[in-house]
Amino acid sequence: MSTATTSNSPGKWVVLPHFAFAALAFVALSVLLIFSTDAFGGHYFHPKLLTLTHIAVLGWATMLIFGALYQLLPVVLECKLYSERLAIASFVLLAVGTVLLSYAFWYFEVGWVMHLAGCALFLSFLLFSFNVTKTARLAPKWTIDADFIVTSTYWLVATGAVGLLMALNFTMGFLPADHVHYLKLHAHIGMAGWFLLLIIGVGAKLIPMFLLAHPESSKKLTWAYYLINAGLVCFVFDHLFFQTGFVWLYAGMVVAGVGLFMLFIYTAYKSRQRQDLDLGMQQTFVALALVLLPLVLLFVVSTELPLPQELLSAIYLVYGISVFLGFVSALILGQTFKTLPFIVWMHAYEHHVGRYKTPLPKDMYSHAWLRWQNISYLLGYVLLVAGVLLRVQDLILAGAIGFTITSLFYTANVYLLLLHKVKQLKPFSYGNASA
Amino acid sequence: METQAPDTGEQVFETLKYIIDPEVGINIVDLGLIYKVSLQEKVLTVELTLTTPGCPMGSTIITAVEQILSNRFPELQVQVELVWSPPWSTDMISEEGMRELNGV
Repeated sequence: MSTATTSNSPGKWVVLPHFAFAALAFVALSVLLIFSTDAFGGHYFHPKLLTLTHIAVLGWATMLIFGALYQLLPVVLECKLYSERLAIASFVLLAVGTVLLSYAFWYFEVGWVMHLAGCALFLSFLLFSFNVTKTARLAPKWTIDADFIVTSTYWLVATGAVGLLMALNFTMGFLPADHVHYLKLHAHIGMAGWFLLLIIGVGAKLIPMFLLAHPESSKKLTWAYYLINAGLVCFVFDHLFFQTGFVWLYAGMVVAGVGLFMLFIYTAYKSRQRQDLDLGMQQTFVALALVLLPLVLLFVVSTELPLPQELLSAIYLVYGISVFLGFVSALILGQTFKTLPFIVWMHAYEHHVGRYKTPLPKDMYSHAWLRWQNISYLLGYVLLVAGVLLRVQDLILAGAIGFTITSLFYTANVYLLLLHKVKQLKPFSYGNASA
Repeated sequence: METQAPDTGEQVFETLKYIIDPEVGINIVDLGLIYKVSLQEKVLTVELTLTTPGCPMGSTIITAVEQILSNRFPELQVQVELVWSPPWSTDMISEEGMRELNGV
């Protein structure tokens, strides 16, 4: 019994700048998408597409995940964050690295700017991984959620290392194979190793918590963890050294792992006490449904189907879009409004609860904007995917406009929360608690 | 849930209903977080739990309980203790809480 260790949350300056940066990155990404409709007609190794991908992956998704994780790690691991200073250093390096890398890709300047960006990002990942690992070692008990989270950071470091090597290789030319060969490795360990493992680790804890469900067993998650990691390790070694043609098998292991996670979530969903799903959770389930598309496409890109080159190029593009602008973005758009209002509320009202009537976190942002954000997102996503697949630039443009509208609603709501000020609060007048 | 001071106990529970769990949106009494209220001499002790260990609201809820009870019962010394046994489960939500939770 203790009251001493109840608040493990880090300071707001550790967490909130990540949300502020990520929202702006999402706007930048969407606006640049409008000016990049011509880039979707060919191969994915295109300066504009590389820019868009890295803004989406680093400035938007990774930035937001870093910030959210500093808040959520103490919840999942039941201990304080190891170092707030490391977290701030990691944020600065990620922000600077993302801006420099985006500039370098957009103008395709493969010299010192790209090298500097690569070094900043790799260092940011190293600091982040070190911080998470040290935090996990403080945890009073080790769970499978912790395994997912800690391992995902090692894959992030590996992804960054391959990316840095590729950046240096542009001018130094020391890698034995071509860039596309390493790009496949870089992309897949980033997608399945970093994003997927992290999302499963955090989702397995948070989604049942938000649904008020208590899943009895974590066996499915344990199997998922080993299947995904085994699939990834096999893929890495095969891709680098053997090229046996068994990629579909490794893909199958990853897909089976995701399937087990989905079953775990389904069990939690069936046993939930909270029947009424808010907009944030509705969007989260949309994201979980959207993961089906990249899982199907994973088999298409991992088996050498005799498809026309043009169609295959379009499928590769849709595959990438369906992961980053589909599953990952949809999840962020939903989960932001399950976590950020809460974080802001806690910092604003922590010392007022119990003395004054305070608003609830759900009263601190616009539900109408959130609803329009979710609608415009889904429309934008469908139009973009259709446009890329059918190679119709007007559809791609319509999708990009949909994303821009989404990003504006999202950012407006995020800044509404970040700039929230405590107004004059009324003290309690005892008598009727439900009044 | 148990009270050892029936007169004050009822008032304590009524007062604690002002504290709303910000995520779930229902008060901490109907959510089943208050396990025990006792009064000995001038010391009012409240044993409470959280929906999950590591809940970021832990310190906020404890401070809120301390503040609201100190405010409501200035003549008493308030002690709040966080307990984990038995672990909280959704079975502890009251009927009223379930109705609020599902918007009935």
